[in-house]
Amino acid sequence: MTASALSLQAVEVSQCISSEPLDLAGLLAKSHHPLAGAVVLFSGDVRDNNLGNHVDYLEYEAKESMAAKMIQEILLEAKERWNLNIAVAQHRIGKVAVGECAVVVITATPHRREAYEANRHIIDRIKHEVPIWKCEYFKDGSKKWGGNCNCHDITGDPNKHLYETSTSGSDLPAPMKEEFTGSITRRV
Amino acid sequence: MTIEVYAILKEYFEKQFIISEQISDINALKEHLSIQNPEAIDILRSCRFAVDDEFVADTYQLKENDSISIIPPSSGG
Repeated sequence: MTASALSLQAVEVSQCISSEPLDLAGLLAKSHHPLAGAVVLFSGDVRDNNLGNHVDYLEYEAKESMAAKMIQEILLEAKERWNLNIAVAQHRIGKVAVGECAVVVITATPHRREAYEANRHIIDRIKHEVPIWKCEYFKDGSKKWGGNCNCHDITGDPNKHLYETSTSGSDLPAPMKEEFTGSITRRV
Repeated sequence: MTIEVYAILKEYFEKQFIISEQISDINALKEHLSIQNPEAIDILRSCRFAVDDEFVADTYQLKENDSISIIPPSSGG
């Protein structure tokens, strides 16, 4: 077994849920593969504002036993579908400060198109399906549980997400998704 | 049966509690909890239910020793 094969394995079995800061540089360093000409890293970072409110920090809660298993399954499914050489995802739990990374997804493939597509697919599914929740703590002392996923309002079924019923591909079209998220956030 | 709730549901129910009444299925459990706390009706309607870490349908027949997790819509990322 070569050194790169060893490091690939190490990445795959790594923790999907972490209460420690995510080591983006370390994960990226382990995500190079001799067959992959494209490596995409998505980092979901904590913003200091949301809809005009000043965000102090976020706190993430997970049902860890289910969340870790589901992230692994999402990664495996994407790996088969796009023939990924590398698929890694980690999500923080606990308090996450502004500017810190809350979730990271890394995909590596021979060419960039698949790496981008798979990466987008993985992060969307993590956000919609995996039992992880964020609570926003604002500078004024108030707090609010977030709700990125309100697909059930439209699909009528908590187990059905919009991209699963869509016929135009695996992901929501970007403009629709933004509009969709915005309306939810206003309602919360 | 043991119930565990997460995230925003903790503002409506204890994090973990026990129901000793006989409840037939998930639909009946939703109704039971909605009567207990009418303010939680909308949220309960949007939740997924899991038994022993597996999502189950609303028609899932509950057993006495089931441990049920009530999973609000996700907001990770």
